[in-house]
Amino acid sequence: MGFLKIEDLKVHFPIKGGLFGRTIDHVRAVDGVSFTLEKGKTYGLVGESGSGKSTTGRAIIGLNHVTSGKVYFEDKEITGVTKAKSDFRKDIQMIFQDPYSSLNPKKRVIDLVAEPLRNFEKLSRKEERIRVQELLELVGLNPESILKYPHEFSGGQRQRIGIARAVALKPKLIIADEPVSALDVSVQAQVLNFMKEIQDELDLTYMFISHDLGVIKHMCDHIGIMYKGRYVEEGTAKEIFDNPQHIYTKRLVAAIPDIDPRKREEMKQFRAEVNSEYEQSYNDYFNEEGLAYGLKPITDTHLVALPEKG
Amino acid sequence: MEANVEVKAKEVIKSPSGFSVVWRELIKDKLALISLIFLIGVTAFVYGTAIFLDQEEIVKVDLFSIYEPPGEEFILGTDYGGRDVFGQLIIGTRNSLSIAILVTLMTGIIGIIYGLVSGYFGGHIDNIMMRILDFFLILPFTMIVIAFVAIVPKYSVWTFSLIMTAFLWMGIARLVRSKALAEKELDYIQAARTLGTSNFKVVFKHLLPNVSSIIIVNMTINLAGNIGLESGLSFLGFGFPESTPSLGTLLSYARNPQTLEFRWWIWVPASLMILLLMLAVNNVGTALRRAVDARQRRG
Repeated sequence: MGFLKIEDLKVHFPIKGGLFGRTIDHVRAVDGVSFTLEKGKTYGLVGESGSGKSTTGRAIIGLNHVTSGKVYFEDKEITGVTKAKSDFRKDIQMIFQDPYSSLNPKKRVIDLVAEPLRNFEKLSRKEERIRVQELLELVGLNPESILKYPHEFSGGQRQRIGIARAVALKPKLIIADEPVSALDVSVQAQVLNFMKEIQDELDLTYMFISHDLGVIKHMCDHIGIMYKGRYVEEGTAKEIFDNPQHIYTKRLVAAIPDIDPRKREEMKQFRAEVNSEYEQSYNDYFNEEGLAYGLKPITDTHLVALPEKG
Repeated sequence: MEANVEVKAKEVIKSPSGFSVVWRELIKDKLALISLIFLIGVTAFVYGTAIFLDQEEIVKVDLFSIYEPPGEEFILGTDYGGRDVFGQLIIGTRNSLSIAILVTLMTGIIGIIYGLVSGYFGGHIDNIMMRILDFFLILPFTMIVIAFVAIVPKYSVWTFSLIMTAFLWMGIARLVRSKALAEKELDYIQAARTLGTSNFKVVFKHLLPNVSSIIIVNMTINLAGNIGLESGLSFLGFGFPESTPSLGTLLSYARNPQTLEFRWWIWVPASLMILLLMLAVNNVGTALRRAVDARQRRG
């Protein structure tokens, strides 16, 4: 069995309306997603906004209610566990998208970073301070700034505080929900490289949620591509980027900007081709409701949502 | 190591913390500063002197000194029972202030907890809790207080405060709930949950500090209102009996036209005291409100 296994995960949100606020319909944010994470690897979840990638991540950690489906972590089912002090809480942590709203503005850095330690480990004040300072050093912040407030830090530094919090309990899996999309590009690289560094150091597994294909290509070993709550393609990074099979993936990969100005015309033409192919064959790849079909294996690792007729 | 941390702590306080912002705002707003000094002065004086005054002695009827105008023996004269008005004013101000502070604190505590729980958990819990609150809102407050006065033969500052609290916690509960509803959607609450923090801790250690500014401002304004509340009921005859002097009982002597016209010393000091106290608390409250909202700050 895998390290983290997700089976047919569905997260539906009710749409209330009519008399007495009855549920009239559902938003199918995540509609039948299955995948497996391997230990020590980085798994990327890509998709346009609203495709359900963040919801998937939040459902795994228990922030969103799971409508149906199962989540297994190290062969134990963790679906729908909402208790604060469950074992898996220690092993699965999350890095949030917005470093400005994910830190409590009224707390000092020492309280922010020590929060998980206080919840799970009984440390004396002195031990706790030493641990917090070690963690701050690990994420490249000045260990003497433990008594500052979050607003005294820059965006990149704040995201590092978020990371320090996430790694404080030495988790096995970190769900990173667009960890760099709120940061400017120079800081993005800094944070990403740093995340790679601590991955080796602490033997972490990442689940990386992003819409930025450049970031995903840089970080991930395996990639899953989502569209309207379903998977359209899954495979290793090489398979996805070099041999995209689904028309949606093709279009997505074609959209990655190329910095070489000599290829500009070439790229423009290539994109136009992909786009016309997308428009022509849209009905072949998606069903009447515009949703992707079920996944079919092409190779051992490469799965594509292709219609029955092939 | 120890000393190092000490030095750091001092540096941190320099970055504008809550208290320094409020202090700067008060310094800039002279009226609020004077009001604050007046409030502290009156409170200290009233509570200080009341220790040495004997309430039994002051409310004792003395037929030989009825309606004495202000003079050497009685600084503010006497009322129709020959009772010292100055002594009554001090004890009365203390009683009225005690009620105002008690009611504000108790409604605050109940309202904050109720609002936080309702707002944080949301859904069905919120729905049920808000319907209970609506029920309390539609109860006829004055009528129930009047009935209470008729039923309970002898009541004190405590019982009066309790009955008031039972009908006045809803405003702050609603306010806190609405703020908590907005605040709980922010990532730091979600983050705290993924870090394994229990709901109880999330509510009181994360949510509460972030709604505290609005609570402090609201409670200050409530305090001003609650000073007037007791006086109003006592004036109508549903507050304290004459054996427990309060600003309201002194004021109610003015219902007698003779007293109103010719014996100003009985009711004017109490009226002025109510006016000044309410104004002062309101001034401090508005300064606090400005301090909380960065766009309105003067300091």
